[in-house]
Amino acid sequence: MSAFLEYVPGASPLHRMNPVAKLGAAALFAIACFCSSNLVFLAVLLVAAFTLAASCGMVRQTLGLAKAVFAFSLILALVQVLTTPSGAVLVVLPWGYIGTGGLLAALTTVVRLVAAAIPLFLVFYVTKMNDITNAVVKVLHVPYKYAFTFTSTIHFIPVFMNDMAGIMEAQTARGVEFDAGGIVKKVRLMVPLCVPLLVSSVRKTNSAAIAAEVRGFNLRTPTSGYKEYPFTPLDIIALLGTALLVALAITLSMVL
Amino acid sequence: MIELNNFTFQYREGVSPVVSDISLTIPDGVFVGITGAAGSGKSTLTYALNGIVPHCYPGDFYGSVVVEGLDTCEVVLTDLSRLVGSVCQDVDSQFVCELVEDEVLYGLENFGVPRDQMERRVAQALADMGITELRDRVISSLSGGQKQKVAIASILAMQPRVLVLDEPTAELDPASSTNVFELLAAYAREHGTTVVVVEQKIALLSQFADLLVIMDEGRIRFADAPAVVLEHADELKRIGVNCPRSTTLMNRLRAAGAYSGPAVRNVQEACEVLKEVIA
Repeated sequence: MSAFLEYVPGASPLHRMNPVAKLGAAALFAIACFCSSNLVFLAVLLVAAFTLAASCGMVRQTLGLAKAVFAFSLILALVQVLTTPSGAVLVVLPWGYIGTGGLLAALTTVVRLVAAAIPLFLVFYVTKMNDITNAVVKVLHVPYKYAFTFTSTIHFIPVFMNDMAGIMEAQTARGVEFDAGGIVKKVRLMVPLCVPLLVSSVRKTNSAAIAAEVRGFNLRTPTSGYKEYPFTPLDIIALLGTALLVALAITLSMVL
Repeated sequence: MIELNNFTFQYREGVSPVVSDISLTIPDGVFVGITGAAGSGKSTLTYALNGIVPHCYPGDFYGSVVVEGLDTCEVVLTDLSRLVGSVCQDVDSQFVCELVEDEVLYGLENFGVPRDQMERRVAQALADMGITELRDRVISSLSGGQKQKVAIASILAMQPRVLVLDEPTAELDPASSTNVFELLAAYAREHGTTVVVVEQKIALLSQFADLLVIMDEGRIRFADAPAVVLEHADELKRIGVNCPRSTTLMNRLRAAGAYSGPAVRNVQEACEVLKEVIA
């Protein structure tokens, strides 16, 4: 089973696309989500995002991600419901009221965030980190050390999550009740564990930096990569399609 | 040729030297095993060979370390890396790619190896470590032994003249550990590569190393052929280094006057000696 944001091998069209095209299309898709407040349009984008996930067999990972983003966006939605008194009055509050307009805005926020996040995260599940680094260096001429820093950050997320899980298991074995009590208690128990996690993280990143350096990290140039990343018709179609979505989103927001 | 002359090193944050007055000459193509109790300076010694000390871990550096004619203090780490390949103790943090193939390619890409050589070198390195079938696998899905072999293959692909490994079998079972050493020894023989391995499993070192170095409190206590070093079993035990059980058995026979030959290094040698003794 793959860890969070860890590449899952496959041969789907999304897997085969140019990494730069994938990043570009995902970014344009996210921009389209933020350019429109039309709930129907956003719902269509959400369905499209899930369809993309299904096309590369990542439904389980996507549902997990959607759940996490949904939980986060609920906080924003709650703030919006309580601070946007518009539409028909549903509940009267001391400082205003909860209205149908506020609820609709909150729902729009949730759908927008989930829809925008899915393609961005999918990119990491269907693209090797190495390909992302090499492609942005070769195609976009991003300096290698910046591209490497970015992809290493993503690369270490599952490593640190594993470390945290290991530390928690060790603590649980010594009687710390992570599985009992509410979220607040769990967070309070986790805070002291951040120190050992930070120490091990610094050690690991230091080892990784040394390992990269003794393998010629400083000699890397934009032409160093073995693989080439040519654009295929599918990449062009994806970029044009998502650019059209942005245009459509802007048009809808202006018209409606 | 590797030459350490009165090498002493103290980490910047340390209060005393971790290694002191180390003088050692390692001829080309020799398989060197370094062992000793925890904190005896084994890893620091390997850091000196691959230039991590003083380039990555600053401190007070005395004496000199010369690898293939290059003084490790005077050349940049990247130049030294062309000669010395290093496998870290924690291989998981050494990996920079997700796929085995990409990991093996990484060093070749950085060092600007011509494209037409890359494919051959990747295939050869994987074959040398016996992991050709893992080429397209995701590294995180591999076992500890397989990861270790990938880490070594990614260094072998760069065809270093010196290979430095820090506890390459720390997380492996006995069978996998022996397998890794067999592959390393075969590679070194075939390519004339100098191999320096830090290892706790002295039985493995005794079996495969040409030169066995015993460290104690930052100094070299013994540096000789394994059979010669293992004759000092009592002293080794005092400094926290246990001899292989076959060696201990034969040393007891020697103490009892039943055997007077050189120290044995492994079970096979012990069996042969015992046959002679019984006969």
